[in-house]
Amino acid sequence: MTAPAAFAGLTALASPMQMGQLPDWTALAPVLILAVTGLVLLLIDSIDADTTNSALLAGVSTLGAAAALAATAWSLATGVGQDGGAITLFADALVVDGMSLFFTAIFTSVVVMVTIASYDYLRDHKHQGEFYSLVLFAASGMALMASANSLATVLVSLELASLPSYVLVAYLKENRGSVEAGLKYFLIGALSAAVFTFGISLVYAATGSLIFADIAEALSGGEFVGIAGLGVLMVAGGFAFKTASVPFHFWAPEAYEGAPAPVSAFLSSASKAAGFAVAFRVFVEAFPLATIPEGINWVLAFQILAVVTMTLGNFAAATQENVKRMLAYSSIGHAGYALIGLAALSAGGSANGNVLGASMAHLFVYGFMNTGAFLFIAMVERWGVGRTFEDYNGLATQAPVACVAMSVFMFSLAGLPPFGGFFSKYFLFFEAIENGFWWLAAIGALNSVLSLFYYSRVVRAMWFEDPSGSFELGSQPVGLYAAVMIAAVGTVLLLPGFPPVIETAQTVAGTLFA
Amino acid sequence: MVGAFDFVPAIVLLPFFSFLVALFLGKYMPKGGALAGITATAGSLLLSIWTVLTVAGFTGTATTYQQTLYTWAGGMEGTPLPYELTFGLLIDPLSSMMLLIVTLVAFLVHVFSLGYMNDEGETGLPRYYAGLGLFSASMLGFVVADNLLMAFMFFELVGLCSYLLIGFWFREEAPPSAAKKAFLVTRFGDYFFLIGVVAVFATFGTAAFAGDGSFPALAEAALAGEGGGDVNTLFGLDPQAWFTVVGLLVLGGVVGKSAQFPLHTWLPDAMEGPTPVSALIHAATMVAAGVYLVARMYGFYALTPTTLAIIAFVGGFTALFAATMGVVKREIKQVLAYSTISQYGYMMLALGSGGYIAATFHLMTHAFFKALLFLGAGSVIIAMHHNENMWDMGGLKDRMPTTYYTFLAGSLALAGIFPFSGFWSKDEVLYEALVHGLGGSPLLLAAWAMGLLAVFFTGFYTFRMVFLTFHGKPRTDTARNPHGVRWNVKGPLAVLAVLAVVAGFINMVPVAKLTGLEIEFLHDWLAHGPSGLTSEHYSELTHDYANYSVGTLVGGELGTALISGAVSLGLALAGAGLAYSLYNVPEPVEHTDRLGSAKDVLFNNYYQDEYQVWLANDVARGISRGADKFDQGVVDGVVNGISSVSLLSGSRVRRIQTGVVSNYAALLTLGLVALLVILGLQGGWFV
Amino acid sequence: MVPPQYYLLLAAAIFCIGLFGILTRRNALLFLMSVELMLNAANINLVAFSVYWGNVTGQTLSLFTMALAAAEVAIGIGIILTLYRNFGDVDVTDAASMRW
Repeated sequence: MTAPAAFAGLTALASPMQMGQLPDWTALAPVLILAVTGLVLLLIDSIDADTTNSALLAGVSTLGAAAALAATAWSLATGVGQDGGAITLFADALVVDGMSLFFTAIFTSVVVMVTIASYDYLRDHKHQGEFYSLVLFAASGMALMASANSLATVLVSLELASLPSYVLVAYLKENRGSVEAGLKYFLIGALSAAVFTFGISLVYAATGSLIFADIAEALSGGEFVGIAGLGVLMVAGGFAFKTASVPFHFWAPEAYEGAPAPVSAFLSSASKAAGFAVAFRVFVEAFPLATIPEGINWVLAFQILAVVTMTLGNFAAATQENVKRMLAYSSIGHAGYALIGLAALSAGGSANGNVLGASMAHLFVYGFMNTGAFLFIAMVERWGVGRTFEDYNGLATQAPVACVAMSVFMFSLAGLPPFGGFFSKYFLFFEAIENGFWWLAAIGALNSVLSLFYYSRVVRAMWFEDPSGSFELGSQPVGLYAAVMIAAVGTVLLLPGFPPVIETAQTVAGTLFA
Repeated sequence: MVGAFDFVPAIVLLPFFSFLVALFLGKYMPKGGALAGITATAGSLLLSIWTVLTVAGFTGTATTYQQTLYTWAGGMEGTPLPYELTFGLLIDPLSSMMLLIVTLVAFLVHVFSLGYMNDEGETGLPRYYAGLGLFSASMLGFVVADNLLMAFMFFELVGLCSYLLIGFWFREEAPPSAAKKAFLVTRFGDYFFLIGVVAVFATFGTAAFAGDGSFPALAEAALAGEGGGDVNTLFGLDPQAWFTVVGLLVLGGVVGKSAQFPLHTWLPDAMEGPTPVSALIHAATMVAAGVYLVARMYGFYALTPTTLAIIAFVGGFTALFAATMGVVKREIKQVLAYSTISQYGYMMLALGSGGYIAATFHLMTHAFFKALLFLGAGSVIIAMHHNENMWDMGGLKDRMPTTYYTFLAGSLALAGIFPFSGFWSKDEVLYEALVHGLGGSPLLLAAWAMGLLAVFFTGFYTFRMVFLTFHGKPRTDTARNPHGVRWNVKGPLAVLAVLAVVAGFINMVPVAKLTGLEIEFLHDWLAHGPSGLTSEHYSELTHDYANYSVGTLVGGELGTALISGAVSLGLALAGAGLAYSLYNVPEPVEHTDRLGSAKDVLFNNYYQDEYQVWLANDVARGISRGADKFDQGVVDGVVNGISSVSLLSGSRVRRIQTGVVSNYAALLTLGLVALLVILGLQGGWFV
Repeated sequence: MVPPQYYLLLAAAIFCIGLFGILTRRNALLFLMSVELMLNAANINLVAFSVYWGNVTGQTLSLFTMALAAAEVAIGIGIILTLYRNFGDVDVTDAASMRW
C-alpha cells in the first residue's frame, strides 16, 4: 500500500460522521469483527496458555462469527455499498459492494457451523486457542479477498487466508495423515503462490498498476499482449489453487482427507468460495471481456478448466472407497460447476450477470450442503466408525436423525429436486444456455447424473445395507449435532428461500458488468 | 362491502374443519363427529344459498366473481417458469348452482348418516365423518376451481376420499378390493387427464377457465384466425386437430370419474361402501364431477366437433348399455348403480349434442332423485338388517310408508314419468340430441336412438325394483318385521322427495313452447354470467364450429318438442307397464330365464370385468414382458455399459493422484504449460 | 539504462530455476528455497517495472511479498518440523500414504 493510500485510509477513519450515515470504514465491519475475534481468542490463549475450556473458546468464536454474519446481513439488507454505489476504501485498494457482502455471508455462515462443530471435535485436544483464532484469521482473510480491489490486496488477503489454512490442516500434529496433508497443501500452496505472485508482477509489468480499474484501462490499449496474457494465465492459476480446480487441485483430495473434518468443511466450502469471489471480481473488473485485447482469451482457459475439473472430479469420486475422499473429489467437481460462472461469459453477452450470479448462488447453497456433509463425517469420526462406505452400512439404525440430514446433503449435492442444490444447479445450467453455452450445461448435466451414483452410495449404505459390525457410538456430540442440523435446515430452507438468494446474487453480479 | 363472495372460501373450508375435528376430536365427541359435519355442511349450505342469491341478483345486481387467491408457483421475477400456477375461485351461475346441489346433498347425507351409521352402532365413526368432511371440502373446492390444474388436484382428492369411504369396512373382504378397483380404474382415466392438463399448459400457457386470457378463449381466438401464434400445438398438428387431442385427453378423466363406458366397471363395485356414501359420492356429486368438468370447460369442447361427437356417442351408448344391465340385478343398490351410470350417460349425450343447459338440468334433477333413491334404499337396508337382495323383500309398502312414498317419487322421476322432475330434464336431453341430429349431424341421431331405447329399460328396471321391494307379500321373516327408522332417516327423504317432484318445474321447455310463457328459468339462469361462459355463447360456438343447427320434425320446434316428449313418456310407461305386469303380483318369480342366453351375458355385465381383466392380465403382461426384455437388454445394457466405462475411466483418472507431492508439482507445471501453449497459440502471443 | 526486457528475462530465468528446483529436489527445505527463488523473480519484475512506469506501487508490493515469503517460510518450517517428527525425514516423497 502506498503512502497516499494509507493517508487516505486515515482520513477515512477520521472523517466526521454525516447526518444519519455511518463512516465508510464501518462497511468493513464483518472483516473487522472476524479479525478482532481472532485476536481476542489469542488473548484468551495467552492468559491461560493450556486452556481446554472448549465452551469458552468455541463460544467466543461462534459469537464473533455470528456477529460478523449479522453485520453482513444487516449491510445487505440496508443496501450498504449497493444503493449508493460501491464503497471504496484506502485509495481504491478495498471495495465493499453487494458481491463482497454476499460472499462474506457465505464465509461467516460456514464459520459459525464449523466453530460449533469444533466444540466437540476438539474436546480432548490441547492448543485449542490457536485453532479457533486461526479459523477466524483465515475467515477474515477470505472476507478481505471478497473485498479486494487491487492485486496487492488480493495477494495479501489470499495469503492471509492460506497461511492459517496450512496450519489448520496439519493441526493434528501427532497424526501422520494430518501432517502429510498439511505438507502437501503447503507445498502446492507455496508453489501456486509463487506462480500467482509472478503473474501479478507480469500484469504490473504490462500495465503499471495494481488497481483493477486502472489495469483494465491500461490493457484496453492493446500493448504487451504476450506478457499481460501470461500474467493473466498465472493469476488464474493462483485462483485455480484456491478453488481446487485442475491442474492446481492436487492438494485437495489429500488435504480434505487428512485434515480434521471441520477443517475440511471449512476449506472446501468457505475457502473455495473465497477463491471464486476474488476470481470473479478480478476477471470481470481487471480483465473485462469488453475491452481486453482479443489475444487474451481467458474465457477459453476457464472453459477448459471447467470441463476438465468437473469431469475429473466426478469420475475420480465415483470410484472412491473412502467417503471423506469421495467428498473431496466431489468438491473438485463442484468447483468445475462454479467455474461455469466464468466460462460461460462472453463479450456483451446478455446473460453475463445472470450466469455469474447463478454461480454465486450455487456457492451459497454449496456452503451449507458441503459443510454439512463434512461435519457429518466429523461426527462419524468422533464416534470412531471407519471411513469407508462399508463402515457406514446400517448407520441409520443407530443415528437416524443424523443420517436423514446426511441424505439431505447427498441428494442436494447431487442436485435432486426437493433440495436447495437442485435450484442452484438448475439456474446455473439454465443461464449458461441462455448465454449460448449449451454444451457447458450439457457436460455439467452429464456429470451431475454420474455424481448421483456415488452420492446415492452413501445413502444406500446408511439406510439399506445391514451393519457389517456392531456400533458403539457412545455419547451424542451436541455441538456437532447442532452444526449438522443447522446445515440441514439451511439446505432444506434454501429451496423455498432460493428466490431471494438468486435475486440478490444476480443483482450484485449484474452491477459488476454495468 | 362484505358480500357473499367474501365467504366463498368458507364454503370449502367449513367441511375441511369438520374433517379435522372429526379426525382428531371425533373420539371424544358424542356421535363420533357427526354434529361437527352437520354444522359445517349446514353452514356451507346457507352460504351457498346466499351465493346463489347474489349471483341471481336478489341482493343487488346479478354478478359473478373470479378471484385468484394464491399463486403457488411461477410468476417469479427472473425465473424460467413461464406459467403461473394458482388457486382461485370462479363463481358463476354454473358453479353456484353446483355449490347448492353439493352442499344440500352433503348436509342431508350427514343427517341421514346419524340414522344409518350411529343408530346401527357402527364403529370407526370418526374415520367415517372425517372422510365425509374431507370429501365435501374437496368436492366444493373442485366446484369453485377457476383453473384446470386446481380442478385436477381436487379431482384427485375426491378420488382419494371415495377410495377411503368405499373401503370403510376394511376388515371385510369385498370393500377393500372394491375400493382398490375404484381407485385404479379412475386413476387410469386420470392419467390421461393429467397429460391433458400438461398439454393445456404447454399449448396455451394458462389453465384458467374464464376470462379473456383463459384457454377456451385462446383456443377460440386461434381457430378464428386471430392470435393463432399464441398457442403452441405439438406434433405439427393444426390447432383444430390438436385441440381435439387435448380435449380427448382430459375426457379420459371424465370417463373414469363419471363411470362412462368403458371405465364404468368400478361404480357397481363401489356399492360395497356405506349407503350414505353411495348416495353422496357415487350418485349425486363425485360422479357428477366428470360431467361438471366438461360443462365447466364447454367453451373448449364446443370448438371440436369430433370430441363432441365422441362424447355424445359414448354417452348414448353408456345410457343404453348400463340400463340393460340394470334389468337383471338382484341387489337393490346394484340396480341403482347401473341406473346411475345410465343417467350420467344421458348427461354426456346432452353435452355432446350441444345441450349444455339440458345436461346441467339433468345433472341437478338427477342429483336430487338419485340421492333420494339411494337414501331410500338405505332406509330399506336398515329395515332389512343389511340384506340388500330384493328377492328377500316384498310388501314393505305398508310397513314403512314414508320410505315407500318418497322412494316412489324418486322412481317416477328416474323413470321419467310426467310431471316428475326426471321427465323434464331427460326429455330436454333427448330433444336436444334429436333436433341437432335432424339439423345435419346424423351421428347424433344414432346416439339419440340409443338414449331413447334406454328410456324403456329405465322404466322397466325402476319399477321392477319398486314392485319387488315394496309390493306383493313379504317373502322373508325380516321383511315381515322390518326394523324401524327414525326422523333422521325420514327427514332427508322427505326433503329430497319434494325436490324430486318439483325440481323439474324450473325448466319446462315443452310447456313454455306450448304456452309461450317465460318459465324457462334455468335457461335464463345459465344465459347470464361472465362473457364466454354463458349458454348463449356456447350455442354460438357449437353452431359455428361443430355445425350444430336445429332441425325439426313436423310442426316446427313446438311439434318436435311435443312429439319427443310424448315418445319418451310412452316408452317409459311401456317399460313401467311391463314391470307392473311381471312383478306387481303377490308372489313374483324370476323371469330372467326367458332371456335365454342373453341372461348370462347381462348377469355378467357383458363380461366387461372379464375382458378388462384379460386385457390387464394377458395383454398388459405380454406388453410388459416385452418392455422388460427391452429394458433388461437394451436400456440396462446401455446404462451398464456407460456406468462401467465411467467407473473404469474413473479408476484410471484417479491414478494421476500418485500421492507424491513432487509429481503433483510436475503435473501442475505441465498443466499450466499446456494452457499457456493453447492460449498463446490461439492469442498469437509468440509472434 | 538497461532495457526492461532484460529484467523480464532475468526474472523468467530465476523463476525457471526455482521451478526446476521444486520439480527435482526431494528435500523439503530445498523445496522451500526454490519457492523463495520464484518469489524473488517476481520481486525483480516488480522493482524493475516500478522504475519503468515511474510509480512506487511495484516496489511497495515487493516489500509485501518479502514479508509474505517470510511468513510462509515460518509456517513451512513448522510443518516440516512435524513432518520430521512423524516420518523421521524431511524427504517430501516419504509422505505418500494417501493417494488415488
